Amino acid sequence: MPRFLHTADWQIGRQYSKFAPDDAVALAEARLTAVERIAELADQEAVDAVLVAGDVFDAQTVSDRTIRRLFNAMAAYTGPWLLISGNHDAALAESVWTRAQRLGAVPDNAHLALAPDVLEFIEAGFVVLPAPLTQRHTQPDLTNWFDRAETPAGLVCIGLAHGSIQGVLAEDVDSPNPIAADRAATAQLDYLALGDWHGTKRINARTWYSGTPEQDRFKGNDPGNVLLVDIPEAGAEPRVDVRAIGQHPWIQMTERLTVSSDLDQLVTKLKQQPEKAVVALRLEGEISLLGKQQLEDTLSVAEARFRSLGYDLSDLRLLATEEDIAALHADGYVGQLINELRDEQEGDDGEAARDAMAILASMLLEKQARGGGE
Amino acid sequence: MRLLRLKAEQLRQFREPVEIEDLDAGINLFTGPNESGKSTLVRAIRAAFFERHKSSSVDDLQPWGDSASAPTVELDFEWQGQSWRLVKSFLKKKRCDLTVDGTVYSGDEGEEKLSSLLGYEYAAKGASQQRHWGIPGLLWVEQGTGQEIQAPVGYAGQHLKAALGGNLGEMTSSTGDELINQVAKERSSLLTGTGRPTGSYAQALADEQGLQGQLSDIQGRVREYREHVDRLGQLRDEQARAEADRLWETYRQQAKEAEGRLAEVMAWQKDQDRDQQALEECQTSIQTTLDLLNGFQGQQAELARRQDEKVKEELAQADLEARKPAREKALAEAVQAHEAARKTLKLAQQHQQRREWAREREGIEADLESDTAKLARARELHSVLLENRQKRQSLDIDPQVVERLKDVTSELDRLAIQQDAVSTRLQFDLTDDQSVTLDGKKVVGRSEHLLIEPGEVAIKGVGTLRVLPGGEDVAEIARARQNLTDEQESLLSRLRVTSLAEAEGRLSQLRELQQAIQRDESLLNESAPEGLEALSDRLRLRQARKDELASQMQALPEQDDNSLSLSRAETRLESAQQALEAAEAAKQKLTGDFSLAEQSLNRAKKEWERLNNELQAPDRKQRQKQAENRLIDLRVKQRSLNEKLLERNKQIEQAKPAVLEQDVERLNRSADAAEQQEKKRSRELIQIQARLEAAGAEGLEEQSAELGSELEHAIRRRRELERRAKALDLLNTRLREHRLELTRQLQEPLQRHLNHYLQLLFPEASLEVDENLIPEVLIRQGHGVEERGKFEELSFGAREQMALISRLAYADLLLEAGRPTLIILDDALVHSDAARLGAMKRVLYDAAQRHQILLFTCHPDNWRDLGVTARDVEVLQG
Repeated sequence: MPRFLHTADWQIGRQYSKFAPDDAVALAEARLTAVERIAELADQEAVDAVLVAGDVFDAQTVSDRTIRRLFNAMAAYTGPWLLISGNHDAALAESVWTRAQRLGAVPDNAHLALAPDVLEFIEAGFVVLPAPLTQRHTQPDLTNWFDRAETPAGLVCIGLAHGSIQGVLAEDVDSPNPIAADRAATAQLDYLALGDWHGTKRINARTWYSGTPEQDRFKGNDPGNVLLVDIPEAGAEPRVDVRAIGQHPWIQMTERLTVSSDLDQLVTKLKQQPEKAVVALRLEGEISLLGKQQLEDTLSVAEARFRSLGYDLSDLRLLATEEDIAALHADGYVGQLINELRDEQEGDDGEAARDAMAILASMLLEKQARGGGE
Repeated sequence: MRLLRLKAEQLRQFREPVEIEDLDAGINLFTGPNESGKSTLVRAIRAAFFERHKSSSVDDLQPWGDSASAPTVELDFEWQGQSWRLVKSFLKKKRCDLTVDGTVYSGDEGEEKLSSLLGYEYAAKGASQQRHWGIPGLLWVEQGTGQEIQAPVGYAGQHLKAALGGNLGEMTSSTGDELINQVAKERSSLLTGTGRPTGSYAQALADEQGLQGQLSDIQGRVREYREHVDRLGQLRDEQARAEADRLWETYRQQAKEAEGRLAEVMAWQKDQDRDQQALEECQTSIQTTLDLLNGFQGQQAELARRQDEKVKEELAQADLEARKPAREKALAEAVQAHEAARKTLKLAQQHQQRREWAREREGIEADLESDTAKLARARELHSVLLENRQKRQSLDIDPQVVERLKDVTSELDRLAIQQDAVSTRLQFDLTDDQSVTLDGKKVVGRSEHLLIEPGEVAIKGVGTLRVLPGGEDVAEIARARQNLTDEQESLLSRLRVTSLAEAEGRLSQLRELQQAIQRDESLLNESAPEGLEALSDRLRLRQARKDELASQMQALPEQDDNSLSLSRAETRLESAQQALEAAEAAKQKLTGDFSLAEQSLNRAKKEWERLNNELQAPDRKQRQKQAENRLIDLRVKQRSLNEKLLERNKQIEQAKPAVLEQDVERLNRSADAAEQQEKKRSRELIQIQARLEAAGAEGLEEQSAELGSELEHAIRRRRELERRAKALDLLNTRLREHRLELTRQLQEPLQRHLNHYLQLLFPEASLEVDENLIPEVLIRQGHGVEERGKFEELSFGAREQMALISRLAYADLLLEAGRPTLIILDDALVHSDAARLGAMKRVLYDAAQRHQILLFTCHPDNWRDLGVTARDVEVLQG
């Protein structure tokens, strides 16, 4: 009764340029940690093999250090690892794989399936048919040969491929590398382990995308899992157990502020989000000059709490209320200018006007703070 | 505001209380000489307002030397219908009491009320200074500072704007200026004055650009890396395919086959060349045979030709033979004629000779005659000469000796005279019978003797008298005379004469003879220059020649009359000679021609014979037959060779040897190229592999991604700064615009009041104020042009006038804003001329319609026409 851990799209070496440097480093690190956790899980679950369905590396020319760190992260599981190349790390004439081999970084238990040849694990009772990518993009279905492959009878037969299932995932696919939806049936596979789609997805009882183990974009298609696959015997339907393994959920929020109590609600909502989350917050509506100061305090607190907090205030209009102007002691032409700028927010140079207003408000507040201190 | 009463005591000059009441609402003129207390009054008013009652820095208020005093000022004034009374004491009694309509404000409270009413500040420490004075500092002019306006307006600025702002409603802002400064400062940290990025903004831009450059550089390298990877894959495929095909081996095999074919064709070509050679040889033989046959036919014709030639030569020879006799006859005649001519010439020559000899004989005969005469005469001369010479010999006298003799004789005469003169004279006068001897000679009677030498006079019976002539001269003369006498004798003997006269006679004789000899010698020389012998020899020789000629002429024939002249005989011989030579030449030529003709004939005969013999040879027929047979054989052979060559040529052409050669070359080259390509591919493979391994280790894409991140951050930072710069720029512009607008609104009424006063001074003039409301430029109309004078460049007097006008204008503004105005002028306008002062009085009078003015002066005369009664400060103190 062979048992596998199915994973894919580790994309080691990925950089997060949109984030602050320390967040970016932590998120990149998290992908290696995910591999370590997979190794630990594989060890705990005593699986017969870990199937990695491509895109192990994010790019061909990652640094030597990154290559070594990946294979080091796999140390906790000493059973066979079966890795195929994907579109990001295609087995070209010169590739990250040939470099890894030259470096001597690949441990004996890691089987790099870089050619379409049958891999037999007779003792464990299974064979693996790999369909690695040897070009960045391929038009033909690389799993075609599965149908004709000769395998010893009575052994569990596993397919391992990277690409997009035809007719199911029409959009949002990473590459045009096509895979027939009924491949598991036509090739009489017990299980077809797929990579490329970053969310966990069941195509049919024998065909699954594991998704990436660590989320890397704001898309709620159920990423951050690995699949624990049990196949009772050859020909039997596999049992697939979805296990969450990722550390950082990516959360996108859009909130509307109209009245001052909306700000309190925002605070509550932010508090509800898990601590290690990567949050993208977009605010709409309008806020008073004083309210804006409060909002900035709130965001500052939230920033400290999450792994990363990004916010977009471009649709948040600044209001200069009578109270604002009075509170800021913006008398005479200064007050008049604030009102002018408030109205100009809507115009072509709205951004400059809003910024100018904010600066003016902060200067006045600062002055007041100084005045109060006297 | 109207000041009603002022009282001061224990204050400087006013030890006793001084009180001024009933102050006028308009101008109040205070006069008095220097140090009469005018300034003390002013100081009292200032102290009452500006100084804190608690201040200990107001010692100057105490009367001189009275440190125990408590300077006190009391002021009553009216403001907005309310009565204000201020009583303020300093130093010894520090107190301030302000009563406003019965309400008392004491101490600091009172002071604050005053300061906010008038718009000034108190000094935090020490005495009040100009910067604290605010609006009163502008309206109360101290002595000697009337021309200053910038500083007072500056210190009054905030109060002025606050006070005047009331009129402008919401326009003024309490924080505006500070905000403008802050915004400008913030802006300048990001933008330069001209709006170019600077500081951290410029840095952010540079960072972004730098990163952009680095990124595109590394992206280029990533692209290059990918291209290399693709190339590597392609090369590997090509290499595998090439290894499988091994094309170069196929090409080599094909080349070998083509070479075999080519060798075969080359063998044919060799055969062809050989046959071609044979054909050429065959053709040569045919030609030779043909030539031989032609030769046989040609010889027959040649013989006929030779026969003709022979006959022609025989004819020519005969012709020459016939011409011989005539030639010989002509020659003989010519010889004869020549001989005759020669003889004639010889005879003519003999005649010529004879004539010449006859002429010579005649000449000789003439010579003989003259020479014979010459000889006779010469002989005669010669004998005379000989005779004379003998005579001369006998005369033999030397003219030089004669000359010497002459000299000696005359010297002797001279000496005799001299001796006579110097010698001792011995005169005797003896008695008749007595005698003496002188030197042995007896002397008697009377005589005189000259003694030249010592002489002894012996006197008988007496003895001897020795007379010694004195001096040397006598002796010397005697000696000289003796010598000369000796010489004379010797000379005479040499000349064999007895006297000089004889010698001279003989010398004259000799000279005559000498002349005769010379003449004869000359004549002889003329007749016979070479001597008598030579002349006679010549004569003999001529005679001999004459005899010889006679015999010679005898041998020659006599000349007859018809004999030819020599020249004609010569001419005749010459032409005979020529005729002879021509005849000989003609004869010779004929002989030559004849022998040539003979040779030709011989040759022609021989040729004919040789040819004839040949033609008559016995094997000639056989040879001709043989040649004809050979020709037939050769022609057959030629035909067969031609056919063979043609056929083989076709064969070779079909095999196309050139194309075969090209095939060999092409295939070999293809094989080389295929191998070369394979090698090149291997090299490139190794190179690319090495390059990729090196580049791979750098982690290019990871670097690229990292740079991308950095760039993203740089762009974000640049955008933030850009937004901030833009916002600050906007704020800066807008705040300034607002303030400018405000300033303009303040400027306008001030300008109006200024110009109101200015018209009283300069019609059509205007005074411009800057944004700080300080007078800046005075514009006047003069001579049809506009004159612009900056305030600080105006004369002292004009500045004082403009400053006062400005102050009055401010006062008008304040009045309009409902603020109190009190104007105090201490010794104002002292630098104005009479005309300007007059105008300024009108200005002041006009201002006094609205404001209370206190005017202090030490020149009462200047202000008499101000329309008010002056108060004498001295009288006040009374």
